[in-house]
Amino acid sequence: MIDSIEFTHEEGSRKQHSVVVYALSTCGFCKRALGFLKNNDVDFHYVYVDNLPADVKTSVKQELRERYQIRELFPTLIVDESKATTGFDPEEWQRQLGLA
Amino acid sequence: MSRPEAEKSTQDTRRFVSMVAAHQGWRVIADAEFLDSLVEGLTTNYNRYGYYLCPCRDTLGSREADRDVVCPCEYAGPDIAEFGHCYCALYQSEAFQVQGGEPRQIPERRPQD
Repeated sequence: MIDSIEFTHEEGSRKQHSVVVYALSTCGFCKRALGFLKNNDVDFHYVYVDNLPADVKTSVKQELRERYQIRELFPTLIVDESKATTGFDPEEWQRQLGLA
Repeated sequence: MSRPEAEKSTQDTRRFVSMVAAHQGWRVIADAEFLDSLVEGLTTNYNRYGYYLCPCRDTLGSREADRDVVCPCEYAGPDIAEFGHCYCALYQSEAFQVQGGEPRQIPERRPQD
């Protein structure tokens, strides 16, 4: 996780992986993605990037690009601080999280 | 970034998206819960930035930089033609809706800056 920002923690019984989601508070697919994790009882952290101060948001996007070599699209799923998946595809998220 | 002089309500936004859909010959997403979340998102963005920024895209910092993704975005037409719905799924083709298509997140057509 990026240390300089505060994440919201959603408690779940599935704790096999470190799961972090970068989302937009305004986005329907982001809401679906967070609901998907809750429904699957996944323990995860998330942040609404659009609610961050502009300078913090800029550094978060830069870090996502540089650390994970991705384009900053939302939602972005980060598993075990190593695997990044952009966009919400339930089947792909199931695979990444070992739920399939 | 300048804030709008008059804030929009979700009813204002609902009227706006209905007018856009009617004008373009598109349908508005039928899933009421998803529609509500998009209308709320668009309303938030209008009241935050002063224009209807696509709810599934983040601002690049100015109206000028965001002009291609102000709702209805420049990519909605091609996306609806190819996938049956636009990037945020707010607008859909009649055929997609009649067939009961389930919106999925589609590739970002916007060029990378």
